[in-house]
Amino acid sequence: MTATKHPGQHASADDPRIMLDEQIGVFEPIPPYPPRTEREAEFYTLGDGEMFINIGPQHPSTHGVLRIVLKIRGEQVVDLDPVLGYLHRGVEKLCENADYHQAICYTDPLEYVSSLFMEWAPVIAFEKLLDVRVPRRAEYIRVLTGELNRVMSHIMFVGWMALDLGGLTPILWGFIERDEIVEMLAAVTGQRMLFNYFRIGGVNGDLNHDFMSRLGRWMSHATSQLEAELTLLNENEIFVRRMRGLGAVDSQTALRMCLSGPNLRASGLPFDLRRAHPYSVYPELDFDVVTRAEGDCLARYLLRMDEIRQSIRIIDQCLHEMPDGPVMAKLPRLLRPRPGRAYAAIEGPRGQYATYAISDGTDQPFRMRIHDPSFVNLQTVGLVMPGNLVADTVAVMASLDPIMGGVDK
Amino acid sequence: MDRSLRRRLDGRFGELTTGPVRQRNDETEIRIGPGDLVQVMRALHDEPDLRFRFLADLAGVDTGIHLQVVYHLWSDTTADWLRVIVDGLPRDDPRVPSVTFLWKGAEWQEREAYDMFGITFEGNRDLRRIYMPPDYTSFPLRKDFYLADDASRSPAGGVRHMEQVHAPRNAPPAVAVRRTTVA
Amino acid sequence: MALTRNPRGAGTPKGGAGSSKRAGNPNLPAPTPRRDVAQPIVVPNTLWQSTNPLAYDGGRPSEITHLADVERSGTAARDNARWGGALEVIPTKADYVLDLLRANSLWPLLSGLACCAIEMMSAATSVNDMDRWGMFPFRASPRQADVLIVAGTCTTKMAGPLVRLWEQMPEPKWCVAMGDCTCSGGRYKRSYSTIQGIDRIMPVDVYVPGCPPRPEGLIYGMMKLQQIVKDRRGHWPERAIGPTVPDAI
Repeated sequence: MTATKHPGQHASADDPRIMLDEQIGVFEPIPPYPPRTEREAEFYTLGDGEMFINIGPQHPSTHGVLRIVLKIRGEQVVDLDPVLGYLHRGVEKLCENADYHQAICYTDPLEYVSSLFMEWAPVIAFEKLLDVRVPRRAEYIRVLTGELNRVMSHIMFVGWMALDLGGLTPILWGFIERDEIVEMLAAVTGQRMLFNYFRIGGVNGDLNHDFMSRLGRWMSHATSQLEAELTLLNENEIFVRRMRGLGAVDSQTALRMCLSGPNLRASGLPFDLRRAHPYSVYPELDFDVVTRAEGDCLARYLLRMDEIRQSIRIIDQCLHEMPDGPVMAKLPRLLRPRPGRAYAAIEGPRGQYATYAISDGTDQPFRMRIHDPSFVNLQTVGLVMPGNLVADTVAVMASLDPIMGGVDK
Repeated sequence: MDRSLRRRLDGRFGELTTGPVRQRNDETEIRIGPGDLVQVMRALHDEPDLRFRFLADLAGVDTGIHLQVVYHLWSDTTADWLRVIVDGLPRDDPRVPSVTFLWKGAEWQEREAYDMFGITFEGNRDLRRIYMPPDYTSFPLRKDFYLADDASRSPAGGVRHMEQVHAPRNAPPAVAVRRTTVA
Repeated sequence: MALTRNPRGAGTPKGGAGSSKRAGNPNLPAPTPRRDVAQPIVVPNTLWQSTNPLAYDGGRPSEITHLADVERSGTAARDNARWGGALEVIPTKADYVLDLLRANSLWPLLSGLACCAIEMMSAATSVNDMDRWGMFPFRASPRQADVLIVAGTCTTKMAGPLVRLWEQMPEPKWCVAMGDCTCSGGRYKRSYSTIQGIDRIMPVDVYVPGCPPRPEGLIYGMMKLQQIVKDRRGHWPERAIGPTVPDAI
């Protein structure tokens, strides 16, 4: 442990109980091996006056552990290379080794601020494999709690967006709102965050008095609270001037980059899976598909604000139209769907979240492919950043709203 | 279950598909070989009566015998999802043409399929590992890659006495043995 | 056993579809006012017996079911690492004051990896405010931080940067393992790419279990850390890496 250490070796290298290998992973900005792909060669050769800056996996922008290597010339970004995988937990492999019910538990922490959506698509996919019809009350409860989760997720987006641009108040206000919503959901699901509420065939438990009273209290001031928070940011000249025109993506580019969700709708395409490929009881609910034409960061921000309003509208309708009945379909404890494939896609707060499930007749899914929107949306950062300034990197990333749990699975 | 979509696909790609067009609920599925992928994808993307402009998902699948790449597409001409399965990739050197010429957003999804399965996408300018460290040598989602059971195989596992207690007699084996195959 | 639960929901078909969200909705069960502490439901394990009769306390169910009892009985202190050595002298007043200073202004490093980071942020913001204990500035740089609250799953790729962060923090420094994934691997215990518990790579002072732990839970953990800071005076050479639970457990 003393003299024979080279600079990269940790003090713990002699201890046999430690799991670290000598080289845990390569984390120098410039990889110490020759470039293996065209893009790597193109990126890691420095031109005239360029340098690398590493926005490492630990950085104050709270989207999680994302590492971006920027190639800059002065203050202007020439190119960027995101490095992922710092939160790769092997969820798809774990789901293959678990039952259908247990597989749903693994999907909660994917996009941890919108856990209910992360459970929703696998649940729909498994219900397709099993040909299960979900009771209507359960569908309404799913939509109700899902839209609450969407509101919570968008409020967090506002908070983090402002935090990345330097504003400290919206995130504090956002967490107050989030706390209220999350206590409401805890009253019905039992958990503040990784809810584990949706089951194959319904939901885990019915709504209760605690939830309804908290929901009533929240709804009574939700809209006014939202307006207050918006005036904080929409009328802030620094915020608007920084975001207007930044990272503009037009609709053809958005389709080419496989964007979905608010990022795609901000570029002009009114593609919302709740209307384009309806699931659950969304055909019976009345809401608008908000679209904006500019495609820049400000449009993405304003669009998510409008989506919060639409979600509150949906919650209101769900409360008024909630039917009675069971909240769970009758299913055997051991689920063995017949062999087949099913694809289920839902509109999550970040875009199209989908599950492709393959069943081979046993009680474990043969393949559970999780398609996460944040993973696909994050590629756009590399497309729009060249030409902008370094400080705009975080702004663009925040406006695309990635959650690294989903990006890295 | 869009019958007109099935007729259009049969008419356009009848000779290229390696099986009939299958439909279930709201999904339509065609299977092609890797050599026909570029032609089929370009036709699906460009033709005015197909217009499958939205690539919803790009996944790798290991059936135990072969590897597959599965694409899910969306069009405004039909209410169904279209699933294109590129089947029959050999386990030792799976190669598929890349669709990044149509959708640049497929680049990372192909990197993920490479990382997890080892499928090489020809034409992808950036085919390196995305989740695992760059010097990792295995392909985790393949069926011959088994998850370690903590107490038995991990070097630092089994330290606590609780981990050394014998497993229950009727516990399932640590490694799942696949006896069924997937079509 | 003692669990009663109606999985079909309150399906009384009185009245039409639920008309309002007020308490007058006849379809919801009437609220019962609770003034006592809820009794814990103890479900004995009748499914599996260990082949080793000495494991799991010899099969006796644990008598301690409340956290306050655990604290009072001293069982919680059993796992604390022992600080041996020549520095077990009677502390001077200067040591005492320094420990008080350190305990009351522990500056955490922003090391939120995954879901627990959200609850850590929630513990730091308005409703559950960690600023009351002086832990407001979440420093971005490890050089300025005292506590590394590892919140979220640590993967093998992230282990390198995380250990580098830990080593860059100047002493005295403490580490809090927040969440199940950092305590023991949690739900990712069988995964091929996670570290099953960060105590395999760095010394941990406080384990805060939960998935994710409530913000109040994290605050309890931080208060326990403050106690440790005041009791222990940070004896750095004897810090152990690896599971600190004795072998006989």
